[in-house]
Amino acid sequence: MKVPELVKVSLEVNGHRFEGEVEPRKTLADFLREELGFTGVNLGCEHGVCGACSVLLDGAVVRSCIFLAVQAHDAKITTIEGLAKGEKLHPIQQAFLDHHALQCGFCTPGMVLAAVDLLQRCPHPTEMQIREALSGNLCMCTGYVNIVRAVSAAAEKSRISEKP
Amino acid sequence: MTGAQWKGQAIHPREDRRFVTGRGLYLPNISLPKMLHAAILRSIHAHARIVSIDVAEALKVPGVVCALTGEQARALSKPLRPLIPLPVETPYYCLAYEKVRYVGEPVVAVAAVSRYVAEDALEKIHIEYDPLPAVVDPEASMKSDAPLLFEPLGTNILWHDCFTYGDVDGVFSRAAHVLSERFLIHRYASTPLETFGCIASYDNSRQYLTLWSNDQRPGQAMPILAHSLGLSITQIRLLTADIGGGFGNKRKPPYLVLTALLSKLSGRPVQFIEDRRENLMGLVHACNGVMDLEVAVAGDGRLLGVKVRDIADEGLNVLNPTVHSLLKLGNVTNCYEIRAVRFDGYSVMTNKCPSGANRGIGKPFMCFAVERMLDGVARRLGRDRIELRRQNLVPPEMMPYTTPTGELIDSGNFPETLNKLLSLIDYESFHEEQKKARSEGRWLGLGLALAIEPSTSNQSSYMLTTGKRTASGAAEAAMVRVESDGSIQVVLGDVGSGQGHQTAAAQIVADELGVNFEDVQVSPYFDSLVSPWLYTTGNYSNKFAGTDVGAIQGAARKVREKLLSLAAHLLNSSPEELELADGAVRSKKDPKIRKTIQELAQVAYRDLLALPPEMEPGLEGRCYYRAALADLPDEQRRVRGQLFVSNAGHAAVVEVDIDTGKVAILKYAIVHDCGTVLNQVIVEGLVHGATAHGIGAALYEEFIYDERGQLLTTTFVDYLKPTAVEIPDFKTDHLESPSPYTPLGMKGVGEGGAIPAPAALANAVENALEPLGVRLSELPLTPERVWRAISLASKKTE
Repeated sequence: MKVPELVKVSLEVNGHRFEGEVEPRKTLADFLREELGFTGVNLGCEHGVCGACSVLLDGAVVRSCIFLAVQAHDAKITTIEGLAKGEKLHPIQQAFLDHHALQCGFCTPGMVLAAVDLLQRCPHPTEMQIREALSGNLCMCTGYVNIVRAVSAAAEKSRISEKP
Repeated sequence: MTGAQWKGQAIHPREDRRFVTGRGLYLPNISLPKMLHAAILRSIHAHARIVSIDVAEALKVPGVVCALTGEQARALSKPLRPLIPLPVETPYYCLAYEKVRYVGEPVVAVAAVSRYVAEDALEKIHIEYDPLPAVVDPEASMKSDAPLLFEPLGTNILWHDCFTYGDVDGVFSRAAHVLSERFLIHRYASTPLETFGCIASYDNSRQYLTLWSNDQRPGQAMPILAHSLGLSITQIRLLTADIGGGFGNKRKPPYLVLTALLSKLSGRPVQFIEDRRENLMGLVHACNGVMDLEVAVAGDGRLLGVKVRDIADEGLNVLNPTVHSLLKLGNVTNCYEIRAVRFDGYSVMTNKCPSGANRGIGKPFMCFAVERMLDGVARRLGRDRIELRRQNLVPPEMMPYTTPTGELIDSGNFPETLNKLLSLIDYESFHEEQKKARSEGRWLGLGLALAIEPSTSNQSSYMLTTGKRTASGAAEAAMVRVESDGSIQVVLGDVGSGQGHQTAAAQIVADELGVNFEDVQVSPYFDSLVSPWLYTTGNYSNKFAGTDVGAIQGAARKVREKLLSLAAHLLNSSPEELELADGAVRSKKDPKIRKTIQELAQVAYRDLLALPPEMEPGLEGRCYYRAALADLPDEQRRVRGQLFVSNAGHAAVVEVDIDTGKVAILKYAIVHDCGTVLNQVIVEGLVHGATAHGIGAALYEEFIYDERGQLLTTTFVDYLKPTAVEIPDFKTDHLESPSPYTPLGMKGVGEGGAIPAPAALANAVENALEPLGVRLSELPLTPERVWRAISLASKKTE
């Protein structure tokens, strides 16, 4: 079998610059997990449905399991590990804690990032908008009830803090 | 101040913080030096003879280290010991040999430097199959001319038995009404988001296996591994990391054995992680099945007797068959006072994925059949469906109540559960709402279902099907240790898989030792060298309330007693005059006379000559707690299959689009009673999640096999899990009927919601379509199935 040629990839993850050489077929998820150690990127289906591997790529949410590492060349990526500022959690993470919006935690990184993406695009979503925005992320534990409540509460909180 | 302080508090699970920051230590996140990755080549046939396997080309792929075939596995290991050993012999190894028996069955495994390379190598393996006729339908599989999965058996029927309790023939011959109906259940699974995985590291120099896995029953996995690999239990160390959901699905000893053999062959650690396709075709499915249910009803609506003929399709489950059957047997009368029962049960093999544990195991189907039947009885007798149920519920004054099959319903107030449910769903006003909607051409329906939700499996119940006493009772273990600096450590046999066990355990221990919740550390991990464990150790059958709590409390009490004795010695007092509070042992009369736990720990571990001469150093308590309620089957074959019985009522309002058959849930109400609530936040979360599983099973999820046994649903694109759009917000309420038989009055909660949800939804859809005369006896209620039922009904009325 022909050994695949390695391709140089240079990208920024959570504010840090990384360079590596990867096979062209290597997924972004595997690159982030195996080469760079961002194991908060969970793999739940590896066919782009469950959303557990979601990351923010140049600000937009992508499924890193169906995205090649080479496609992320020069991109800026945020994983769940890059969301908190030190010990201070991102407001969505805090809302997930406050509403027990998780059980086993495996979907949580993707779910939180999908919610971050939603609130960036749509700061005051309706409940149905939240449900639709999260419909690309499967959770097998919570029935989504507390997740939807958490995202609603985070949006509400930011609305209050926006008021003069 | 030693009374309850932390118990009952709605504390948010402490484990959540780790998970929201992406710091879960799940199995796939563990990596060892020089670790190889395994990939498995699986059968493409439902049934075929293996003519030849050629791995030579695969071994030439750069980076491939070794390959393992079924024949090699057979030479290197003993057959997997069944958990439920039926009298029939069906030898089964971690890889297929001679024959494959379902699509997705592991045939060859390869270990390589990466999963990519391992999968490349699979493409180079040449297998010649001689395809055989497959049998997919369980009833067809029972016929004498059916293709046989195991020829020497001469049949595909793994087990058949008929249980009779009470005067069944008498009540059926005297009954004013006898109704019968056939119900079907499909194959589905809870599919935890993290798939099954393990890492084996076999040290050939000392024949020692270290194994990390996310197997949720380590206590059971250990002896199976030891037996298969020809090792003693002392030659195996089994560890679990954070488990990304279990729901019964995460137990697969064949994968543990397989990975161990690859590690033994390669001399390197090997990781195997299922991909989702492998998970959907090969891990585990809930049994599909066919149930003929007959009920005998008196003229006034009293339910007199029930007869069941049940066929459980086990697929290739030869490791723990009959679990579904036994749990249906135990749940056959649901929450009703029915005195006569006949259960004619079959466990049948087909060329499909092995069946096994899945949230509720058999109970959702039993509840579905009984609760569907009750709506049918009400219709036939012209009775109100609520009143009919109310008339037949086991009344609270009869608690604890023994069912004809020997189950003990320990506590509960079923009429009150029903009352609360009716008010939560606003039952009174629904009739008007429905009438109004119908006048607008909208098809609204309300359905409800009541359910018992038993928990804590009694191992003795398997004696009913095996005839052998290989295990009995129900138990769990835990350890509490005060370290030399006074900090408190708890180690659990059952570490859970997302149910907040660390938080719940800390609440219990904090109360026992009179310390702050925050001061109690609970390990999230299982380690067979450190954790106390026994055969029944693990995360299953909702047993936390039934056995784990007793073990945690028991371990804490051993430490507590020692702290009291030690303090009494140092304070020249007696233990009776002392109490634990505020992190210290102090005099009840004068709280200023005290020794902090830290001071006592210093003595216990360092200032050893200050100890009473007869006292052992150290402050450690281990408890192996056995549920006293567990029994053996009696001569009438009655047994408490599961020991502590929660209950619930679910009600749904749905709207059906009769042009497409699409069902939308408009409202969903849940009233549940799991005895004393230790932590409302955790309980509510589990109720939500279990209900979502029930909704998924009822409306969306289905493993579909074609007639040749090909699985057509092998991705989440075809196997539909409900998303945030499909699952509604739930209205919940609860009752607390403490169990008189558990240490804190708690009862199981994890699987509850999955049990009544399918019945409630089917009843709701049928109610919506009542004017059309639609009958639904089969799940899931996909648009196609509902649309066909509507078409069929309208043809009948034309």
